Amino acid sequence: PGVAAAPPAEEPGSGSLCAAPLRLARLPLARVKALVKADPDVSLASQEAVFVLARATELFVETIAKDAYVYAQQGKRKTLQRKDLDNAIEAIDEFAFLEGTLD
Amino acid sequence: MAERPEDLNLPNAVITRIIKEALPDGVNISKEARSAISRAASVFVLYATSCANNFAVKGKRKTLNAGDVLSAMEEMEFQRFIAPLKESLEVYRREQKGKKEARKDKDKKADSEEQDKSREEEEEEDERMEEEEQNDDEEVDN
Repeated sequence: PGVAAAPPAEEPGSGSLCAAPLRLARLPLARVKALVKADPDVSLASQEAVFVLARATELFVETIAKDAYVYAQQGKRKTLQRKDLDNAIEAIDEFAFLEGTLD
Repeated sequence: MAERPEDLNLPNAVITRIIKEALPDGVNISKEARSAISRAASVFVLYATSCANNFAVKGKRKTLNAGDVLSAMEEMEFQRFIAPLKESLEVYRREQKGKKEARKDKDKKADSEEQDKSREEEEEEDERMEEEEQNDDEEVDN
């Protein structure tokens, strides 16, 4: 009622990157918010900001899993292992921020 | 207060599900790999938050907003996230608007000041959203 015509929210596969781009976050916003609040420099974060962060984190998880899987494939394995992740982090510039943080 | 930021983690079940859906059928993930990805996700949130906060500070704002997070993605070289994030944000905003309308109908009295305040914020964000739609810019700038 009164809302402008919007594309249907439940169209699977209509997005680009991921499985359900139009779905709301699966990661609980409360937990994401707890992480945001852990930063002493942050005073407040809007609900929208927390939501976008949650969605971004989901995209990140998808991305890093896929990138790590390439290494498992190279090793002819069907199980993703820790070393695949380490390889991906070392090889891919965008993951440089993770170096040294996972131990 | 005893928890370090790196110890705050995201629910394993959800992380696992996201990983499994990203990978082809029949692919498994070791416990160590899953746990490492989960930790990486937490680090990602912390790093993105810090990055986003810089934009808020630059904009002389005390509240981190969605635009700041999108700017952070650009900064962190995750530009390809920006389009799907904007889509999700659109849906989220519509849903929030719908919820608010339902609340307004039930709750015609202006008894909670908090609701009014958040409504003002939402209205500001709506105006900004309209501006963005007009500009059709990739970069979200306030």
